[in-house]
Amino acid sequence: MSTYIIKRFLWAIFLIVCVTMITYVLFFLVPADPARLAAGKSATPADVARVSKQLGLDKPVYVQYGLFLKRLILEQSLGRSYVNRRTVNQMVFEAAPVTAGLVIGGAILWMLIALPVGILSALRPRSLVDRSAMIFVLVGISAPVIWVGLLLQYFVGFRLGWLPNSGYCNVFNPPVGSSCGGPWDWFTHMILPWTTFAILFAAAYARMVRANVMDTLGEDYVRTARAKGAPEHSVVRHHVLRNALLPVVTMLGLDIGVALGGAIFTEAIFNLPGLGRLTVTSVESLDLPTVQGVVVFATFAIIIISFTVDILYAYIDPRIRLA
Amino acid sequence: MGVKRTALLALAAIGVLSLGVTSASASATRHGARGGTIVVEMSSDVDYIDPQLSYYGETWKLEEATACKLMNWPDKEGAAGGVPTPEVANGLPIISKDGKTYTFTIKPGFKFSNGQAVTAASFANAINRLANPKMQSQGIPFLDIVEGAQAVIDGKASSASGVKVMGNKLQVTLTKAAPDFLARLTMPFFAGIDTTLASQIDANGINNYASCGPYYFAARTPNRSITLKRNPNYKGGRAANADVIQVNIGNDTNVELQNTLSGATDYPSGGIPPTEWKGLVAQYGLNKKDGRVQVRPLMDIRYLALNHARPLFKDNPNLAKAVNWTVDRQAFSAQGGYLYGKRTGQILPPGMLGFQQQNIYPIRITPGTIQVANKYAKGNLRNGQAVLWAANKGVAPLQAQLIQYNLKQIGINAQIQLLPRATQFTEAGNPKTANYDVTIEHWGADYADPYDFLNILLDGKQVLNPQHNNYAYFNVAKYNQQMLQASLLVGNARGTAYAGLDSELMKNNPPWAPLVDSNDRTFLSGRVACVTINTAAQAGPLLNVLCRK
Repeated sequence: MSTYIIKRFLWAIFLIVCVTMITYVLFFLVPADPARLAAGKSATPADVARVSKQLGLDKPVYVQYGLFLKRLILEQSLGRSYVNRRTVNQMVFEAAPVTAGLVIGGAILWMLIALPVGILSALRPRSLVDRSAMIFVLVGISAPVIWVGLLLQYFVGFRLGWLPNSGYCNVFNPPVGSSCGGPWDWFTHMILPWTTFAILFAAAYARMVRANVMDTLGEDYVRTARAKGAPEHSVVRHHVLRNALLPVVTMLGLDIGVALGGAIFTEAIFNLPGLGRLTVTSVESLDLPTVQGVVVFATFAIIIISFTVDILYAYIDPRIRLA
Repeated sequence: MGVKRTALLALAAIGVLSLGVTSASASATRHGARGGTIVVEMSSDVDYIDPQLSYYGETWKLEEATACKLMNWPDKEGAAGGVPTPEVANGLPIISKDGKTYTFTIKPGFKFSNGQAVTAASFANAINRLANPKMQSQGIPFLDIVEGAQAVIDGKASSASGVKVMGNKLQVTLTKAAPDFLARLTMPFFAGIDTTLASQIDANGINNYASCGPYYFAARTPNRSITLKRNPNYKGGRAANADVIQVNIGNDTNVELQNTLSGATDYPSGGIPPTEWKGLVAQYGLNKKDGRVQVRPLMDIRYLALNHARPLFKDNPNLAKAVNWTVDRQAFSAQGGYLYGKRTGQILPPGMLGFQQQNIYPIRITPGTIQVANKYAKGNLRNGQAVLWAANKGVAPLQAQLIQYNLKQIGINAQIQLLPRATQFTEAGNPKTANYDVTIEHWGADYADPYDFLNILLDGKQVLNPQHNNYAYFNVAKYNQQMLQASLLVGNARGTAYAGLDSELMKNNPPWAPLVDSNDRTFLSGRVACVTINTAAQAGPLLNVLCRK
């Protein structure tokens, strides 16, 4: 087991180096000069050269990358934004809880929808429930997140006025001047984003749960349990769901990891100051340190969650551990 | 006194040429109730709120409300608002005979929000802080004319030798006569700062400092909100109507519109969707006194830069004229929505010193104009192939398709290349990467002076630099000289010289096809009054003047 963990750990480090390096290379392939942007529209060549030196952009790319890694490892620093010179650590750590709130709340919601819908559909295939559920799945998977979000925002938020149409409220310590704050405000402001974020995943998971449950229902051990006279609810709970939901747990871990990198559309529509919105604004302004910071954070999130899932799986299923 | 009169004449001329702004707006202001909170929304966060660092247009709206300056644009509309006027300076400066030394006397009574008095040193400190290389300010290019500033920028001195404080007087010596100096001083970079901020040299910007204008920054949460509160010590003459100006950040234009309609927001500074303006004007009327929809011309232009460094337009003025005759300015403007701007065929925008209405090129396309265009194009098409650059966002791709169609009318096959906006202008400003024949560009004046248009955008001496704003790569010795000479003139002579240049360039050797002088389109909530818009100072209503009904 320890060899397995060490292998996974080394693989994680390798992945971080690869991902950050690729981001760096891609960024420098973009034909634009961040120093020119940082120097201002009226800057002379001398001004741009000075800014370039101040930002360290006058050094070769590999030196810049080396310095980035050095800062990251020795000082745990992601550098400073080219645009507003705030520390990227601070920007990422301000944005991460917002995205985490969205993703975790969204995940709870999508599981609350997907599990009953998927299980009921599988238990009564081709029934009205099943067909209705599959229509929901089709719509949920086909409808672009941005479209769903805008519709909810316009009708539920603006026209009906049932819920706030955008914005974010801190659970604790709202900023000075903020019109909202506290758990209730936070909750009401997150309902539409959660719904928007969850619909696609809920549909996909409902379909997956349905397929897994239907497969498991045909297994020998389920037939055996039924033949032994076990009640149906017991068969479903103890024999079907326990096995059918195992891959769902794995998927959930991976999807949450990916989504932590930034639920870009949902955050943009509902003005949530999370990692997704930070990424968009940083890319638009060629703010490499901030983009890199989000990439590093997202990579960490994915690696840590995958790592946890891998280890759990290895613990649960000896075939993986021994492979 | 004679020299002081020269300064007056220069300023008067700026004001006279600002008449274009007057017609739309002069009666829109009234004084309403004091107190309450005005809610403003911005689509994205500001860069900094530090006066020596902030450079976004959105930030300057806030700086206008918080800063006090030696010279400022008055809180007035039209011609009266277009004259840089002494604010903390006690009258116009005394200017030396050679035009290089300006002596300002500081008016007593101005105080920062922390109670500290505003002195001559407040402004000297601002200049030295701006020049400090550790600040890494984007305002440094505006200091190029201050004697000794370069030594500070280079880290060789801690203060500019040309900036001297003598009691309540501030003397600024320039390296050369610069009649636009007073206009430059209206930029927030030169706002007075207290001794605490003067000692805080931090390239990351200071978020918590005392201001000497009608408001001060009470709080800022990056990416979330900014709160301005009334400066309790303010004794200047500018309005400070609301108790609090609350700025919320991050909503897109759809939500800003929804919030303004519902009354949750008073001023959607980030804008509203372009398609909505026509309906709003129909519903609420246009430019009514304290009305909800206000439109004013900006000192801003959208144009096609015709690359004179590439074979198609090099020494080919007739083809440039043909482009000017064929571009459909009306359709281009329509892509930006109702009241997007005023079609133009000249370089200087209305309201700018030197602007004189000229009708050299058509603002409406007809079969007749296409015929004229083809006459100019005939025999001058060379290979007839062009690369057309445009931004890849907003309405720019649609506008590019339109220009492509227009160019086709005179036999030019344009290949569109869409680029991120940041890439477009940085690449266009570099002679090694400017691989386009035509690029759709946009420029807004930093300060209301024709130097910031003609010289900055068309002076040929800069085209070999790796970074510049002359995207037409226009470099004609005769015009370079004329631009230099015009920049040294003051008063009416300055205006006349720039007007002549504008006309001569467009008639004889057009570097561009000017398209649209953009408008500032403002939509306000139903609970707002006291609307004053002075586009010489900033886009949008002056926040310190806005009040609740």
